[in-house]
This record gives sequence, structure tokens and C-alpha cells, in this order.
Amino acid sequence: MKKTEKRTVALAAVFALTFGIAPAANAMHIMEGYLPVQYCVIWGILCVPFLAAGFFSIRRTINEHRKTMILLAMSGAFIFVISSLKIPSATGSCSHMTGTGLGALLFGPSAVSILGIIVLVFQAVLLAHGGLTTLGANTFSMAIAGPFVSYGVFRLLKKCRVNRRVSIFLAAALGDLFTYCVTSFQLAICYPSEAGGVGASLIKFLGVFAPTQIPLAVIEGLITVAVMIGLESYASPELKELRFIGEEK
Amino acid sequence: MIAIDKFCYTSRLRYVNASEKFALAVITLLICIAGQSFVISAAVLAVMGVLTVRKGGLPFSRYRKMLMWPLGFLILSTLAIMINVSRVPLDLFAVPLGGWYITGSAAGALRTARLIVTALAGVSCLYFLSLSTPMTDILTVLGYCRCPRLIIELMLLIYRFIFVLLDIASAMTTAQNARLGNKDFRTACHSFGQMASALLLRALKKSNALYDAMEARCYDGTIRVLKEDYPPKAREIAAIAVFEFILLILLAGRLTGWVM
Repeated sequence: MKKTEKRTVALAAVFALTFGIAPAANAMHIMEGYLPVQYCVIWGILCVPFLAAGFFSIRRTINEHRKTMILLAMSGAFIFVISSLKIPSATGSCSHMTGTGLGALLFGPSAVSILGIIVLVFQAVLLAHGGLTTLGANTFSMAIAGPFVSYGVFRLLKKCRVNRRVSIFLAAALGDLFTYCVTSFQLAICYPSEAGGVGASLIKFLGVFAPTQIPLAVIEGLITVAVMIGLESYASPELKELRFIGEEK
Repeated sequence: MIAIDKFCYTSRLRYVNASEKFALAVITLLICIAGQSFVISAAVLAVMGVLTVRKGGLPFSRYRKMLMWPLGFLILSTLAIMINVSRVPLDLFAVPLGGWYITGSAAGALRTARLIVTALAGVSCLYFLSLSTPMTDILTVLGYCRCPRLIIELMLLIYRFIFVLLDIASAMTTAQNARLGNKDFRTACHSFGQMASALLLRALKKSNALYDAMEARCYDGTIRVLKEDYPPKAREIAAIAVFEFILLILLAGRLTGWVM
């Protein structure tokens, strides 16, 4: 074999090994029963202020414009459906979007916290992604931390006048990566390593989930760009209507 | 169509009082993760499995397949917990690699095994609830638990809209497949993006039309539906109480150390 051929085969082998092992690259929901009780409670409590803020902001908008209720419900259903559909993947494994970045860009981070926890309940009950006891931890990583990062990155890049597509891509991908880091951290503090403590454990979790989560973040970024571009060219009036949900008064 | 939802509507346990089922699932789940014990988890897995398969009428092969769904997460995170990279070898196994060892301890392996059975038992509790209780019944129970009305209303609407949107999405995906829209990775990404943006557009149009229709029928912020009421039966409550009591004794045993 020539040198380039050898290299190609080696690369293909590495690729096949890393992706072949992971059976299903779901968004990284912590499964039911995987966290000890005290951590379930702690993460639940940490979510409360964000959820309360989201709840009050939603209630205020709904009291003023009753139509927002239907709009919010459609948006929640949209996030659920998008995250339950199989997305294209380069390797043929079955994977799903988290939809957090897209949600944050469309509806703003405060509305997404409430929609996110509802979507997570539905995902747990209807799809068995995640669980009831791990709801707090999953809400914190997917409906609070991820969307806030996405939104922050997007606003920041917009201010710096970065290309729009690039900023949408980075917002969605970084939000996804941050979710993955937070989930790894949540697992690491529950199960510190016997050799090296929480730090070593964090590195292990990050490493183990990296082969599925990093490509997923890239794909999610690409798809979010496609969706936003599609919306901006066909539906700018509707987009304005949505911005209005996310407005904090 | 969502598989779990379909099975839950055909379950033979569907017309049992929803609060009973909810309480059984949630209390058992809490005891199970508080205990992290082999005995409690095995008991929970067995009881929930029998309830779902024998009483509920779900085919066992389906149930086994469903229990395998979260396997990807379980395998990866179990690997992460059990295997250490360190300069000192631990007691169970150690593979030398340069100056380092890929190693694990016996205590770690025991803890991981406990975690796996606990997680599986937890999933079986979740399945018992979701394979026997339709979402609308769960929402009614949440209402009894003083969950804000706004949230319940929102959940009810979202639950309804999920099926509307899933229908539209599957029709669009079929159309894209028929036109070679998923022939390679690039087109697949593009198609998915187009499908999602068209889906959102349709969702917004539908929500406008729906709002007009509801407004015309005096919608004032709450949807009032008739509740079907299935009163709890004394025998069922007694059985649940006995089961939870036994689990609590086992939990006490686990905390004092005479149960694995």
C-alpha cells in the first residue's frame, strides 16, 4: 500500500471504532435513576429561580396578549418534535438534536427555561430520554445553561458584527458543547474518581462522551443555520411575532 | 406515532385510578434511588416488570427492547466511572501502559454494578407510569399536586400540538425522500433545515387559525374538559401500601447495613 492509502485506512479504522462503539448518540440526557437523591434535589433547587423568572415573564405576557399562549404551546411542541426526529449524521448512527440553541435564538432564554422543562417531561414520559428524578439536572444543563450560552454568544457576536451565519452556527454549537460540559460535570461531582477525584472524573466523562457529542454539536450548528436562514427568507413577519415572546419587560 | 403513547392507550391498566399509579411509580422510584441496593432494585424491577407485562398486557419482547433504549448512556458512563487512569494500580485490575495504569478497584466495580441495577429499576418505574397512564391523566394528577394552572394548560396544548406537528413533519420527510432529498450527508442537512423551518412556519400559521377558532368559541384562558373518574379501589391501595412498606423496611435495612 502507498503511504496515503495506509493513512486513509488507519483514519477510517479510527473513525469506525470511535463511532461504531456508540450505539445511539442521543442528546445527553442523564437517565432515570442515575443520580443520588441529594444531587437530584440540589439541581432541582438550582433550577427554581430561573424557572420562576421564566414563569412570571410568561404569565405577564399571556395576561396582556392571550394569543401568546397558543404561540408558546406551538413553540414547545416544535422543540419537542425537532428533538425527537432523527437528524442526518455522517456515520449512520442514530442521533437527535437538543434544540436548545434553536429555541434560545427563536424564543429567548427566559421563555425557553419553562418550555424546556415541559419538553423534558414529555421526553422522559413519551420517549424515555432522561427521567423524572433526573429532571432537575437535565433541566439545568439543557434548558438553562445551554440556552443562556447560545443566546449570550449570539448577542455578543452580533455586537461584534460577525457574519450572521457564523454567529448562528457558533451560538448553537457552543450552547450544545456547554450542555455537554455541564452534564459531564454533574456526573463527575456525583461519581468522583478513586484516583484523582472530581477533576479526573470530569475528564473521563468528557472523554467518553466526546465522540458522540462533538460531531453532534457541529451538526446541530449546521442545521440551526439552515433553519434560521430558511425562516429569515420566508417568514420574517412571523419571526418578529416570536421575538415578542422572548421580550423581557 | 410515538410507541410509548400507543402502548399506554391500549394498556389494560389504563382505567385504574391515575393517582394510585402515579403515587406507586414516584414513591417506588424515590426509595429505589435512595437505597441504591441490589435487593431493593431487583424487587422493584421484578414487580414493575410483572405489572407492566402481565397486568398491563405489553408483549415481553417489546418491554425488553424498551429497557435497552437507554443502554448507550449506561454503557458509556459506566465505563467512565469504573475505569481509571493512574500512576498507582488499584486492586481489581491494572493494565500497564507506559508509566501509567488503566485500572479499577473492587469497591468501584461494586458501586458501578449497584448503579446499573438502580438505574434499570428506575427506568422500570418510569415505564410503569408511562406505559399505563395517558399524558392527560398525568396532567390531572399534577393538577391535584398544585402545579400552576398555566403550566398544566400549556402542557395540555403542547401534548395536543406534538401530534399535529409530527404528522406534518412525517409528510414532509416522505416528500423529501421521494425527491432524493436525503441522498447524501450534505443534502440531508439541507433538507432537514428546510423541513424544520417549513414546520415552524406551518406551526405558526396553525396556531393563528386555532386561536381565532378558540376565540370564536369564548376561549378565556382555560380549556374545560370533562374528567373521566375512576375511583381508587381499596384492594389496590392496600397492595400498594404493603409493597411500599416492604420497600421501606428494606431501605432501613440497607441504611443499617444488613441488606446488600
